[in-house]
Amino acid sequence: MSTSTAHSHDTHALPPRPKELAMHFDTLHNQYQAGKLGMWLFLGQEVLFFAALFTAYAVYRGNHTEMFHVGQYFLDWRLGATNTIVLLFSSMTAAWSVRCAQLEQRRGLVLTIAITWLCALTFMVVKYFEYTHKIHVGSVWGDSFHIHNMADLPRGVVDWLYKHNPGLAQMQGEEQLAAVNDMLGKNGLGLGSFFAVYFCMTGLHGIHVLVGMGVYAWLFVRALKGHFNRRYYGAVDNVALYWHIVDLIWIFLFPLLYLIG
Amino acid sequence: MAGGVVEKPEGAYGGSTRNYLNETRGIKNWIITLDHKRIAMMYLVAVTLALLLGGFFAVALRTVLWDGAVRDPNDLILGMRVEQMYNKYFTLHGAVMVFMFIIPGIPASLGNFILPMQLGTKDLALPRINLMSLYLYWIGATLFVGVLAFGGLDTGWTLYPPYSLDRQTSIPLILALSAVFILGFSSILTGLNFIVTMHRLRPPGMGMYDMPLFLWALYATSLIQVLATPVIGLTLALAMVEHMFHIGIFLPQYGGDPVLFQHFFWFYSHPAVYIMILPAMGVQSELIATFSRKHVFGYKAIGWSSIAIAAIGFIVWGHHMFVAGQSPAAGLIFSFLTFFVAIPSAIKVFNWVATMYRGSIELKTPMLYGLAFMYLFGIGGLTGLFLASIANNVHLHDTYFVIAHFHMVMVGSTLNAFFGGVHYWWPKMTGRMYNETLAKIACGLVFLGFNLAFMPQFVAGTRGMPRRYANYADEFTTFHQISTVGAYVLGAGVLLQVIYLTYSWFKGPRAPKNPWGAASLEWQADSPPDFHNFTKPVIVMAAYDYENWEYDPNTGGYELRKEVVESGRSLATAHH
Amino acid sequence: MSDAHAHSHGDHGHGEALPGTIGHVTSAKTLVMVFLTLVLLTVITVAAAQVDVGRLNVVGALAIAVVKGSIVCLWFMHLRYDKRFNFFIMLGSVLTLLWMVGYILFDTKLYQHDMENYRKNKTVDGKVKPE
Repeated sequence: MSTSTAHSHDTHALPPRPKELAMHFDTLHNQYQAGKLGMWLFLGQEVLFFAALFTAYAVYRGNHTEMFHVGQYFLDWRLGATNTIVLLFSSMTAAWSVRCAQLEQRRGLVLTIAITWLCALTFMVVKYFEYTHKIHVGSVWGDSFHIHNMADLPRGVVDWLYKHNPGLAQMQGEEQLAAVNDMLGKNGLGLGSFFAVYFCMTGLHGIHVLVGMGVYAWLFVRALKGHFNRRYYGAVDNVALYWHIVDLIWIFLFPLLYLIG
Repeated sequence: MAGGVVEKPEGAYGGSTRNYLNETRGIKNWIITLDHKRIAMMYLVAVTLALLLGGFFAVALRTVLWDGAVRDPNDLILGMRVEQMYNKYFTLHGAVMVFMFIIPGIPASLGNFILPMQLGTKDLALPRINLMSLYLYWIGATLFVGVLAFGGLDTGWTLYPPYSLDRQTSIPLILALSAVFILGFSSILTGLNFIVTMHRLRPPGMGMYDMPLFLWALYATSLIQVLATPVIGLTLALAMVEHMFHIGIFLPQYGGDPVLFQHFFWFYSHPAVYIMILPAMGVQSELIATFSRKHVFGYKAIGWSSIAIAAIGFIVWGHHMFVAGQSPAAGLIFSFLTFFVAIPSAIKVFNWVATMYRGSIELKTPMLYGLAFMYLFGIGGLTGLFLASIANNVHLHDTYFVIAHFHMVMVGSTLNAFFGGVHYWWPKMTGRMYNETLAKIACGLVFLGFNLAFMPQFVAGTRGMPRRYANYADEFTTFHQISTVGAYVLGAGVLLQVIYLTYSWFKGPRAPKNPWGAASLEWQADSPPDFHNFTKPVIVMAAYDYENWEYDPNTGGYELRKEVVESGRSLATAHH
Repeated sequence: MSDAHAHSHGDHGHGEALPGTIGHVTSAKTLVMVFLTLVLLTVITVAAAQVDVGRLNVVGALAIAVVKGSIVCLWFMHLRYDKRFNFFIMLGSVLTLLWMVGYILFDTKLYQHDMENYRKNKTVDGKVKPE
């Protein structure tokens, strides 16, 4: 930016401008509100970004209830619930970091940001185990859905299979597996679409968590350098808002995918 | 530089006046600039290039259609069958024009430049976001060039599965999907920035109802950009994943539902049609009022009808799917809802006409485009009603009638308003005047060419000529050939514009501060504006108080009346 | 434009704020209470899901999720103390989402039987299935 405006004709002395105040704003308060409004619009955009996936969920669940009923047995609600609590806790620490910034508690700010980041990491680690397990079992998206081993099937699924095909008990090995995949795959129940919805929804959410970790790392550095004060902490506030919406989406994903099959 | 307004040092900078164009030099100072005016000018150049590229494909596809009745289907051009070429031409024409020209066109170039100035402020609220939006546009555009380099697409711009996702070469398809995804985010960021700016940077004394109607239109546009664009982003991401991994959401052979894709696609793309037309209507309000030298008639009605169009835009998307497998009940409801679009649209047109009534109309080039807009938008809008009624639609669906209808709106209206806006603000943006005679000739060519190109298509469509075919029955030959001639005339008009505008930027006579006697705040700045936009304190006044300005024969433009400058207040008392 | 800086809600956190602070300071107690409420609601959701009451499971789980989401919005995201416009952005985007989900679900449910018929008689690439 140019600063070649030295010949200022301002005769009345203006109060000194804070160094954080951009040239086109009159007050820090206005600048803060502008940033925040921008963030809220971005969050509105985020809600609609997920809308297509929620619609896909509703459409497939609404028209294929049984697919979701059986599919849900593949998901472990304990892991989902753990991740829910982890995210809720991180949401609290994120809100706390805003409080620390407002009260100019610099150590508290650094600490709450670090805890939030670690919670995000924990979430992703749990997610990693969930994903790798599913890939191992073969309970994945669309065309790739193929169960490799009867022993991997959750109890509820096995019950459903025997209930709908009592002849399964007489079969063995490859023959039995082929029959099972026929019942669960695209020729039967279509679990591939359930897992497509599952992986897309949790995957997009996971990408948001990763982005959150990125911006929290950036915020951590800025907090260490002491960039924030009671009248300039928009970045902390806005990142926290983003983090809350990530939490908010998970609050809906958890029951939709793990609980109400 | 602390906050206040700075006086411009006279005679500095080697005799030429200092302004945003010559403030700093070198390509780097443009690429990393945060100045909304420079970003706007880079956008203007970029969207113009996109217009020329899309126009090239338009002319190419019209050329193929010249002899579609008699051609041997096995003819080869450059080793490819003509039909295949044609399919790629219409796809690329649509995609380039929609995603790279019409959607960003007016908001990102004219809006970016004018919006902060009409608010009398120094910049958009979030300058870095603005620059990021430009970068995203560049990245998206580059990816699109990649699509061309890797052989193009033939899916149509709508990318309907299953054809688009299981019958295309991967590289161009993935490039195209990511390009649109990224261009979408560019558009979201622009919209977001505009809303924030209009909320937080209005000067003291300017309420929402004091803003020029261009800004109301941009506000409505931005709402759609923020709320609808993410849906297409995710839809295309899903389509990409479907293409690569066969996840079974859209492709029926894996258990997916292709109609669902159309729902998602049009949930964005119908509102997107209003992203295209609303800014054009905003420009139109400025042009009609300024060149009638009369306070715009029905200010609130025009302003709120923009918001109404934006809102209604979200509840009519299914009218693109009447024959696509959507249920009859949903079709019926969508047909009914679609008629409501006509109400706010008509409100606008009637108010523009009422504004002109007993005004002292000056037929400068921007006004000519404004008049062309009204005529073409009238036809485009009314034929929309034919298409909204479901029984008619079954007959007209996917015919040239549809093509003609939406070109009347998207090209006839939006492109005309874009040209009108560019000519109107050209003196402000570049500090130069263009050649009025050439401009009028170009305007005439555009109008003539456009009508020649699309009027015959209405007739061909009602007689059953389907869209997206390279060949046709003998009876359609005349319609197609007139249309092709029209496309060439239109192309010539656009090229002529590009030539004389570019020339005038470097060699044109210097423009006065306010050549038109317009009253919105941007005209209080110099032409071209200072780096910080205004060198004197802005006198905040309602956007259509033309009596505050008087003609000054010395400068060839209008100056603020002395009483206004001295009192720092508008002559008129409040209008509303 | 320059609105009053501090809000004068009688919230217990307000007294802590340093002079000139922008925005509302949420008290530590409120943050902890909100977190505990959210955990409690999570436990209730999980518990409720173990009892099969048909469609009510869905309604119940979504209702609790809406309550949890609202709590996050109002306290963690400060919407209770924030500008009303920010609240309307959130509300507007959620309503748009609901409209999209609702209408598309309505339509797909109506055309499902067309798809079933198609699947019965034809293969995906449009060929008539052999009897």
